[in-house]
Parts: sequence; C-alpha cells; structure tokens
Amino acid sequence: MLTSILEQTVNGLMAGSVYVLIALGMVLIYGVMHVLNFAHGVLFMLGGYVCHFIFTRVTGSYLLAIVLSMAVLAAIGIALERGVFRPLQGNLRNQVIASLGLILAIEHLVIAVWGPNALQFKVPATSALVPLGELRFPVQHLLVIAVTLTVVAALFIFLRRSKFGTAVRAASQDRQSAMVVGIPVERIDWITFALGTALAALGGALIGPLFLVFPQMGDAPMVKGLAGILLGGMGSVPGAVIGGLLIGVVESLSTLVLPTDYRDSVAFFIMVAILLVRPRGLFGVRVRGED
Amino acid sequence: MASLRIDDLQKRYGGIAALAGCSFDIETPGIYGLIGPNGAGKTTLFDVMTGIAPPDAGRVVLDGRDVTGFAAHRLAGLGVSRSFQECRVFPEFSCLENLLFRAQEPQQEALRLLEMVNLASYATEPAAKLSFGQRRLLELVGLFMRRPSVLLLDEPAAGVNPALLELLTGFIRRMYEERPCLTLVVEHNMEFIMGLAAEIVVMHQGSVLDRGTPQAIQASPRVIEAYLG
Amino acid sequence: MRIAALILLVAALGAAPTVSPPYLLHVLVLCCLVSIPAVGLNLMLGYTGLVSLGHMAFAGIGAYTAAVLMVDAKLGFWAALALGTLAAGAAGGAIGAVCLRFRSHFFMIVTLAFGLMLFSVMNNWDDVTRGAAGFPGIPRPVPLGGFAFGRLENFYYLALGCAALAFAVQWLVVRSEFGRILVALRQDERLAQARGINAMRYKTAVFALGSAIAGFGGVLQVSFLRVAAPATFSLGESINAVLVVIVGGAGSLAGPALGALVFVGLPEYLRVASEWRLVVFGVVLVLLMLFAPRGLAGLLERVWRR
Repeated sequence: MLTSILEQTVNGLMAGSVYVLIALGMVLIYGVMHVLNFAHGVLFMLGGYVCHFIFTRVTGSYLLAIVLSMAVLAAIGIALERGVFRPLQGNLRNQVIASLGLILAIEHLVIAVWGPNALQFKVPATSALVPLGELRFPVQHLLVIAVTLTVVAALFIFLRRSKFGTAVRAASQDRQSAMVVGIPVERIDWITFALGTALAALGGALIGPLFLVFPQMGDAPMVKGLAGILLGGMGSVPGAVIGGLLIGVVESLSTLVLPTDYRDSVAFFIMVAILLVRPRGLFGVRVRGED
Repeated sequence: MASLRIDDLQKRYGGIAALAGCSFDIETPGIYGLIGPNGAGKTTLFDVMTGIAPPDAGRVVLDGRDVTGFAAHRLAGLGVSRSFQECRVFPEFSCLENLLFRAQEPQQEALRLLEMVNLASYATEPAAKLSFGQRRLLELVGLFMRRPSVLLLDEPAAGVNPALLELLTGFIRRMYEERPCLTLVVEHNMEFIMGLAAEIVVMHQGSVLDRGTPQAIQASPRVIEAYLG
Repeated sequence: MRIAALILLVAALGAAPTVSPPYLLHVLVLCCLVSIPAVGLNLMLGYTGLVSLGHMAFAGIGAYTAAVLMVDAKLGFWAALALGTLAAGAAGGAIGAVCLRFRSHFFMIVTLAFGLMLFSVMNNWDDVTRGAAGFPGIPRPVPLGGFAFGRLENFYYLALGCAALAFAVQWLVVRSEFGRILVALRQDERLAQARGINAMRYKTAVFALGSAIAGFGGVLQVSFLRVAAPATFSLGESINAVLVVIVGGAGSLAGPALGALVFVGLPEYLRVASEWRLVVFGVVLVLLMLFAPRGLAGLLERVWRR
C-alpha cells in the first residue's frame, strides 16, 4: 500500500513538474501583460516536436536539443508577442480569440507537417532505471523533477535578486507606475513572453521521451497548468509552483481510488471547486472585480 | 422631494480608510457642492451611494428608507442618477439611442434637450464620434431622461473646455429650474462649483469637515488648512 | 433591396434538393447544423459580449438527453427535441448563474472548466451515455405526413426549417428591448446598471437561451448522424463554435450563417485537406482580430455601403 502511494507521489511530482513549467509561463505572462495565453499548450507541444526534430536530425545530444528547442520557441514567442498580442493590447476579448486562433493554426499545422500519429522520442541516456526503495523509475522521471526544481529556484533568484527580475515584478504589480519610473515595460513584455514560451518548450522537451510526442499532447497539460494557477492563486508565481505540483500529485494519487478513466477529470473538478469555494486560490494576489 | 441622510459611513480599501465615519443630512432640495482635497473620499461616497461598493459600516437613508447595500440597478430604479468621473456613454449607440435607453421621457424631450446643448446635429451619430466635452454633455443630458430624484454628478467639469463649460453650467441650472431635485456635485473646479451650488459640503480624510455657503466655506480656516496642509 | 436578396436566398435554398447532387445537399445540411449552436453563441458572445469557451457542452446536454429519451425511453423525436432543448436551457441557466459571478478571464476559465467537466461526464458515464465510443442507434424522426426523414432531401428541409427557426428567434431577440439591453451590457455594464438594468438577470437569461438553442442544434445533429459521440461536444468543438461566430461576424444577424458556410462549405468547395483547412482558419481568426474584428459580416457591410 505504502509503496503504491510512494509510486504515485513520485509520478505525481513528475506530472506536476510539467504542469509547473506550463503554469509558470502562463502566470508570468499574465502578470506582466494581463493576458491569459491559452495557446501555451500548443507551444509546449511545439517545443516537444522541435526538440525531437533537433535530437533526431541535427544533433544526438539531448541536452543540446533541449537548449536549442527552447531558443527556437523563445523566438517564436517574441514573434507572437510583437505580431499578435502587442497590437491587441487592452482588448482582452480579441486577445483571447486570437490565442484560440493560434491554437487551431499551430496544432493543425503540426498535424499537416508531421502527421497525426505520435512520434517516438527515445533518449537512450535517460532510459535507465533508478531504484528507489522497492520501486524503479526511469532516469527521465527524476530528471524532469530535478530540472523543474532547478529552473524554479533559478527563476526565484532572478525575480527577487536581479535588477531585471525586480523590474518584471514591478511591471506586473502596477504597469502605469512602472512606466512612470522609467521601467521599459515594452521590453519586459516580449522578454517575459520569450521566457514563458521557453519554459513551455522545456516542458515539452522533457516529457517527450516519457510519453511520446503527439499533436494533442499540450491540450490537457494547458488546462492542468491553468488549474494549478487557479489553485495557487492567479498572479502568484509561488502559487503556480505549488498549485501545479499539487494538481499533479492529487491527480496521480486519485488513480488509487478512482478508475483511471477519471484521472484527467480530477483537475477539471478541482478547478470548478476552487472557483466555487475560494476563487482567490491559496495565495491569490489579484483582486477580482472590474478586471 | 427627496431627502438624503448619510449616517457614519465607513469603507476601507486594503489598509486605507476611504470613508471614516462620514455623516451628513440633506433635507431641502437644492444644488449642493461636495469638495475636498484628493483622497477625501468623495468618489467612494458616490460609489457607496449608488450601490457600486457596499460600505463596511453605516447607513444611506433615502426619503426615510434605508437603502444601504442596495444593488446599483435597484437604486437607479429608485431615482438615483449618477454621472461618472471618467464619463460613461454607450459608444456604439447614437446620441438619441443613448438618451432613449430606459428613458422615462419621450423622444421629443430627448431632441429638445439635445438642442439645448447644441448636439441636435449629432442625434444619429454614434456617441464615440463626439469629443470628450460633448460626451460629458450627452452623459449629463441622459441623466434627465430618467426623471431623477437624486442627482449625483462626479466632476462634470473635468476635461471640459471653457466654452462648453458655460453651456454645461447653463444646462444644469436650467434643468434645475425645470425639474428641481436633490443635486450633489463633486468638483475640483472651484469657480464652477462656487457659482453653481447654494451650499457646499467639505470632505477631508473620509469624513465631513465643514458645511456652509460658498462664501463661508471659502473663508473657513479649517477648510483652508485641509487644502494647504 | 435587402428583401429582394433575402427572397432570392430563400427560393434558392428551397429549390436546392431538386437541383443539387446529394453531396452538396449533405454539405448544406451540415451548414445548417453548425449554424444553429452558432446562433446561440452569437447571442451570448456577439451581442452580450460573454466569451464562453464551453458552449458545445450544452449542445451535448441536449443531444444526450434526447438520445436517452429516444432510445431508452422510446420517446418520439419531437418530444425528445423539445425536452432536449429544455434540458440544455435549464443547464445553461443553472451553470450560467454560477459562471456569471465571475468576470473577464475568470468567466472564460469557468466556462472552460464546466465544459471540460461535462465532456468528461459524457465520456466516462458509460451506463448512461455509452462512453467514449458514442451512443449509437439514434433514429431519424418518424415520418411526418408524406415526409420520411431517412431520406436526405427530407432531412434537409427539416434542418433548414430548424435553422430558420433559430435565426427567427435571434432576429426577434435582437430587435426587442431585451436585445437592446444585451447590446448595452456589452458596451458598458456599469453604465447599464446605473440606468436600472439588473445585469445578472439579463446575462443569465441570454446564457440560458443560448444554451437552449445549442441543445436544439445538438439534438438535430445526433439525429442526422444517428449517433451521439462525446468528441462532437469537446473543447475543440467549443473553440470551433467561437471561430464560426467571429469569422461570420459576431453581433450580426447573418454572422452565424456566414461563419457556418465558410467553416463547412468552403473547404468542401476548395477540396482542401481538413488539416490545412483548420490551419487557415486559425490564421484567419488571428488576422481578423488584428485587421477586421467585425468579421465577414463587417466586411460585407462595408462593401454594401459603397
């Protein structure tokens, strides 16, 4: 019994790590630009595809493939911010609809180019099994958790200690005041977007070797990342981390008591529950109201 | 004729007390000015009085009836009409459509009022096409289409050039002559409000500081100190 | 001028079965079926400004209610149609009342969440909905007078009639005081409230109405396809519904029809593979937001004026 719980907890932390990467990207973008980028899931998926491509066609180094795919997606993120989100600034409805259009365009572009079937993403270096008590986990599992925690730590240091990070926090708290003080909010916009997209790409690159790479792979994670943000509190970066991990762990543990078919639905039910009971989430920062 | 009583209203936003025991009574109809330095709580008072924000404590009594915490639409139904600091009109509706929306006066009246403020030629134009000052006038005219018993004007002169300001002042005076009602005007433009109001209420740091005729207020040492100190 | 065009359109649509091949007729039926939920969403999104990302879940409620009634309870099509529509409307009223407590971002997220929740119920509640494989054996309506609805031409007239009914309801709403209030709410809700409008009541009402219309379309759709599948009412389909409304022209009477025609008919006409079609649609949606937010109806209006 205990081993099952431990096994599912580790699985949950792994899945949760992926949700954290997506959630972080979304919450950073939301904080600075005040727009929820629903297209984050397809960017995550695209990161997986690009990493796969680079790994199988360009370089056999998984590490290099990850870094390069993050760079490619960051560039795409900048293009999207400048081309789509910046011009629509201030018009939430149109921004959201544009992001829906991006979801359609990117997801079906991938299907048109790579085909609808899943791709195998074998990374021999990380397939080895690591024993943990009675259990065995692929290295990749633990890699996902480790990389995510490292990235989160780095992000925290960046936001709290660096000059640019402080500027990002200022811009997300009060954009007008930040502008008055001379903070280059426009530059922060596209850099934050690039950062968020790179994080999503990292998620896709890390999860690919575990669960195949397929066009719809970002759909559920996006919603779960969203659930994580809601649980943690809209606009809160630590909240996104805790929320994402919690969603992953609760979801995995639920398979011990519910039929596995319902696994995906757990996150949806949590979302509805949070919105009904405590919309502010655990560490909610933004005040609801005339948003 | 409407009477208004504000009874010890309290309202905090985060750590800041926007209203800290605000109380006053208005029994006689007239145009009253509401002035005070920035942060005195004037717009918050309006928000509470029009149901946009519920107070933490205290009461709003309209015609002897406790209307504290009533929803905005319900207060509107009771005859409380308000203009907004940032000036709100329906941008896609034409001027006429703006006036006729939920109006209690007929179309002829709308056209007559538009004529009074020199906007008759814009009757079928979308409100978005008007200049800011013209939109202020439109917003103001719209209030009178609903036969208000209490009129709350939130900085109607802000952002209006002197020529239109004269038109605006004249319109308010004329409307008051035709349909007198309890009118409370928040303003920073001293010349405008001192010339318009019969009595001035001064707010400072969330409560009423002083009250009296424009002359008395201008000479009151407490008021002067509040503005300068 | 407009009346003449409309009469011509009605005549053309009426004559379609006699002059078009079955393939084209099939496409026209699909256009009608897509346009009906789009009308519901147009009232909510186009006229009132409510961005719902879970709209098709209500089409699913109508569809599955009718499926259970027709197959398990052996009820006739027309009763199932009425009850399915009612069920969707009631669900819309109840869920809408909850969702509408939230604004902007949160409203979209709640509608998204409810849509996903309903989808997972349709997908997993095997006992009632037959699960992911779908609910088979849904009949066409029993023959009415001389009309046997198993035949494509006859079902076409049914679909056309139902679509016409949906558009008629839309027209009645839009030209009524209720419709005017919805448009006012979209422009400035706070101002509307200051003018005495109980915003919550009106928004809930239009949410319920839009959901009922979606349910109406859902019942028709599964009767046509003879099967109810969860995939038809997924998040992806809800996004497509938004696409149809926006491309056609949100907040215009003809919008849902234009959007449905473009979404269903155009790729068939161009014989484009379905994946590239959706890529193009996605890109068009983004471009529209940037350059022509009023969609096709807006563009047509500009051309008409010249």
